[in-house]
Amino acid sequence: MTATLSVDWTRCDGHGLCAALLPDAIVRDEWGFPIVRAGAVDASDEADVRRVVAACPALALHLEQR
Amino acid sequence: MTTLLDAPVDTSAWTIGPPRLLAGLDRAERLDAAAHLATHGPLPGSDLRLLLGHLDAARLTGRGGAGFPLAAKLRALTGGARRVVVNGTESEPTSRKDRTLLRRTPHLVLDGALAVAHATGAREVAVAVHDERSAESVRAAAAERPDGRQVRVHLTAGGFVSGEARAVVRALDGGPALPPGRRTPPTATGTLVSNVETFAQLALLLRLGPRRFADTGTHAEPGTALLTIGGAVARPGVVEIPLGTPLGIVLAAAGAPVLPQAVVVGGYHGSWLAPLPQLRLGREGVAAAGGTFGAGVVLVLDGATCALGELATVTGWLAAESAGQCGPCRFGLSALAADVAALAAGRPAVAAAFGHARTVDGRGACSHPSGAARFVTSGLHLLQDEADQHLAYGGCGRPVLGQLPVGGAR
Repeated sequence: MTATLSVDWTRCDGHGLCAALLPDAIVRDEWGFPIVRAGAVDASDEADVRRVVAACPALALHLEQR
Repeated sequence: MTTLLDAPVDTSAWTIGPPRLLAGLDRAERLDAAAHLATHGPLPGSDLRLLLGHLDAARLTGRGGAGFPLAAKLRALTGGARRVVVNGTESEPTSRKDRTLLRRTPHLVLDGALAVAHATGAREVAVAVHDERSAESVRAAAAERPDGRQVRVHLTAGGFVSGEARAVVRALDGGPALPPGRRTPPTATGTLVSNVETFAQLALLLRLGPRRFADTGTHAEPGTALLTIGGAVARPGVVEIPLGTPLGIVLAAAGAPVLPQAVVVGGYHGSWLAPLPQLRLGREGVAAAGGTFGAGVVLVLDGATCALGELATVTGWLAAESAGQCGPCRFGLSALAADVAALAAGRPAVAAAFGHARTVDGRGACSHPSGAARFVTSGLHLLQDEADQHLAYGGCGRPVLGQLPVGGAR
């Protein structure tokens, strides 16, 4: 099972909190919307990523177990 | 988008090889229950096991564009089916095949849908359409048959992205006709959605059996498929072909110019391709040429039209069809349309266009941004010399003839 970070694009408003908190994994496009560089999340980072998911003001980030 | 409900839509049809789906339509405009039985014979009884066996043997895939195997969808219904949805919204602007089936041979579609409902225990068959004429034809057909009481016809509203399976289900459940943000397949809630032609093909498969079904087509893709042919051809319309028929044969039969400038295969989420006569029309053949077969749309551009201008027109339309609910699609497709318009006007924008196409790819609730990116990227690759000419001389001196139509009759 790998945890995968995904964006619900109908919710995302491009606040940019995720990119600020996870600069290695997420960058922003020219309009401020997140570009998730690598969707797969290492087990060692999972706790950090969960905090970022919870921090999204639009509740647009999801960590999905595949 | 303006939906002209009462405008006539061309449902003229012809075949290469013997007709299957279109059987009987050379003699009648529409097959009612009696004509349907006389043409196709009665539908043999079936259960889920037989259905899955036939579907596996015939490798029947969805004919709405995504090409997902119907058997896999049925197996994903682990808790049984609540509802079978026939997606007849046909939102691809140049496609006519589904409405041709619904209006001219509706019983074939209902046979397939009711067989799935019977095998899975679904109590309801919902037929979703965007136009009144198809709705009337299906209602009339349902009223003619004893098992027709299960059938409900729903006239749903909306544009290009409203034809996506999950958007259709959402509209049927009283929500907006828009793709939802989470990628939950309809089968997870006991709903089986498939395209009109898929159900009609299943009705043929149940009658013929997998062996006779595979008498035509290729080994990997048995049977026939419906195309919608348009653009610079003398005989536009819906065509039934054996899967794997070479493009050259179809173009000659449709009265295309001897040397077309380009073809667009798979509609406006599809690809621009060089008109190679040996390209085999089917999912496999078009994929080998770097494109996608989609819902079987083939549009021909001749040398008289400004192809870059045609690309710009369609890209502008794709941007306008964004539902605007996902940021990258809303802003990215507008930027992409501006890039392609600049190119057509002779300004340098190739790098910007490729960049914006990459930016939108895969970033939305539905496949609209990815499909638009594929359309534009393939067009820019094929029309490289055109773009150079536009940059050097400010244009090519040809008018945009609208061989890739946008909007129009339902």
